[in-house]
Amino acid sequence: MARPSFFGLLLIAPAWAMIGGLFLYPLGFSLIAAFTEPGGGLSLMHFQKAYELYSTDILFTIFIVIVSTLLTGLFAIVIAGILTLSETPWLVTALRNLYRWPLFIPFIVAAQCMRTFLAKNGLMNNSFVALGLMEPLQTTSLLDWRGIIITFVWKQVPFVTLMLAGAMASVDRATIEAGRNLGASRLRVLIELVLPQVAQTLLVGLVLSFVTMLSVLSVPMMVAGSQPTMLTVDMAFRINSYGDYATANALGVISYVIAGTVAWIYLRHNIKREVQA
Amino acid sequence: MDSSVLTAIDVDHLQVSYGSQQVLHGVSLSVAPGEFIAILGSSGCGKTTLLRTIAGFQKASGGAIRLFGRDVVRTPPEKRGMAMMFQSYALWPHMTVLGNVGYGLRLRGVPKTEIRGRVATILTMLNLSGLEDRKVTNLSGGQRQRVALGRALAIEPEILLLDEPLSNLDAKVRIQLRSEIKALQNRLKFTAIHVTHDREEAMTMADRIVVMDAGQIAQIGAPKEVYDSPNSPFVASFMGAENTVSLDIRPSGSGVEVRVGEGSAVSYNGEVPIGPVTAYFRDDVASLVDPDARIDGSIVLPGNITQRTYPGGHYRYVVAIGDRHFTVTDDRYHELDRPVGLRLPLASLHLFSNTQTTGGNHA
Repeated sequence: MARPSFFGLLLIAPAWAMIGGLFLYPLGFSLIAAFTEPGGGLSLMHFQKAYELYSTDILFTIFIVIVSTLLTGLFAIVIAGILTLSETPWLVTALRNLYRWPLFIPFIVAAQCMRTFLAKNGLMNNSFVALGLMEPLQTTSLLDWRGIIITFVWKQVPFVTLMLAGAMASVDRATIEAGRNLGASRLRVLIELVLPQVAQTLLVGLVLSFVTMLSVLSVPMMVAGSQPTMLTVDMAFRINSYGDYATANALGVISYVIAGTVAWIYLRHNIKREVQA
Repeated sequence: MDSSVLTAIDVDHLQVSYGSQQVLHGVSLSVAPGEFIAILGSSGCGKTTLLRTIAGFQKASGGAIRLFGRDVVRTPPEKRGMAMMFQSYALWPHMTVLGNVGYGLRLRGVPKTEIRGRVATILTMLNLSGLEDRKVTNLSGGQRQRVALGRALAIEPEILLLDEPLSNLDAKVRIQLRSEIKALQNRLKFTAIHVTHDREEAMTMADRIVVMDAGQIAQIGAPKEVYDSPNSPFVASFMGAENTVSLDIRPSGSGVEVRVGEGSAVSYNGEVPIGPVTAYFRDDVASLVDPDARIDGSIVLPGNITQRTYPGGHYRYVVAIGDRHFTVTDDRYHELDRPVGLRLPLASLHLFSNTQTTGGNHA
């Protein structure tokens, strides 16, 4: 085997330094801090505190992110399915032009928009009242867990759809036609023939969306300020209000574990596919 | 008797456009039940569009398509009840052989155990026994196309559409599958429309050949009829008669006199068009003779041998006549640059008058 060249190592040194200094060091530091008691010994006391104070928020976070991921998947499948299988050209054109817009809107702007849209006297309720679909007294605010899910789904659907529609476009068109030719409706073609061929892409899109939603601070903070809330808000609160880095780090580790579980599911699925192939 | 009942597929003045460009200009075609039709044509002639419109994947802008008397022009593909084989096999890679072949039966609500039994029967018929649980991605090209054929036949279709299904296969497998499809069609009696650009494939498989050119049908007929009596210069060249010679034909007594350029006239008694004509012929009708030979019923063009190859079994010569070159096969060995005569029997030439575009005479 050739010995690694000194100049080669020198060339990649800046990249290593960046990863080490800006990513590995803070990550390792926060991991260690989460397991270290004030005296310096190893301890799970920060996790105990995090659990006592925020166990509801942990479940709330998992619930929000799972429901948002599932809904994102569902909407992305519907839109990508229409883009791939629809025979109504104007619908495809309209959808193709519209669906990407939220991609270019930052989470914080999306959250701000949703505040004005989903509030008790927001644009949505006002429109329903103006259309005569609802009495002013019947209006309710959606600025709670529902608002977070709506914002996440609205923001992430374009991303997953973009990946999914691309994958569906590269599926051999004849495999779709073969299904219809044998008598399958377009819905069955989508579910039984197209989706299984792009499942890998859908899974990647959903895993990335899951991790993204898990780490967003602005949306839960702006859309639903009340309790329960998501772990990102709790972490910010521990640090900003108490300077309590240790509990925040413990909450961070819990977030890694949640994200890690999804990554593990993804990797396991990948390995299974490779073994089959 | 109602004539439409006798027809499996009746395409009536079918028109298809891609945007503003018209691709099929009023195509009409009747296919009898159990008949095997091959649609032959060069790329872009509209043959695949015709097949896809019959299948329902392409919308017609005019005309009608009747399947056993039922107009299906506005029926979606899944309700037309036909089966199709594709050039790219179009198997579903996430399914096993059983899943692929049995899918049409599953759509029709056939119980699982019955599907297994029927798929096993079909796989036996296609020499694929025991491969039920194999992933289709682990099969060879020939096996994949057999699975595709099995998938199409599993639903016992009355009509099978074949969109160049053999063109991705190597020559040996292609010839083998050709005869297998034909044998199955004879046995199961389904009606088949086969689109291909391979002349030999069309000739060997079809009961009738449809030659298409620029969105229209140029000629329909039995393989021998289209091969021996092309009705236009296009069909003649498409069926392999790509060499041309200009002739001048004049009436003489009870017959005619045929002259090539300034050469001597040859008498002939067959039916031929009068006036300046172009003769189309295949390489295999020409033979090498002495340059001064005079043979009844044949024209002899003097020339020189410029090239000789031995492809096996016979020699192949390139003969230069003026500034034209013709390929001839001959069993005998001839030296290069030797003056020879290229003999063309008038009866084997396809003659088309230069003053008309269609309607040939096959002396």
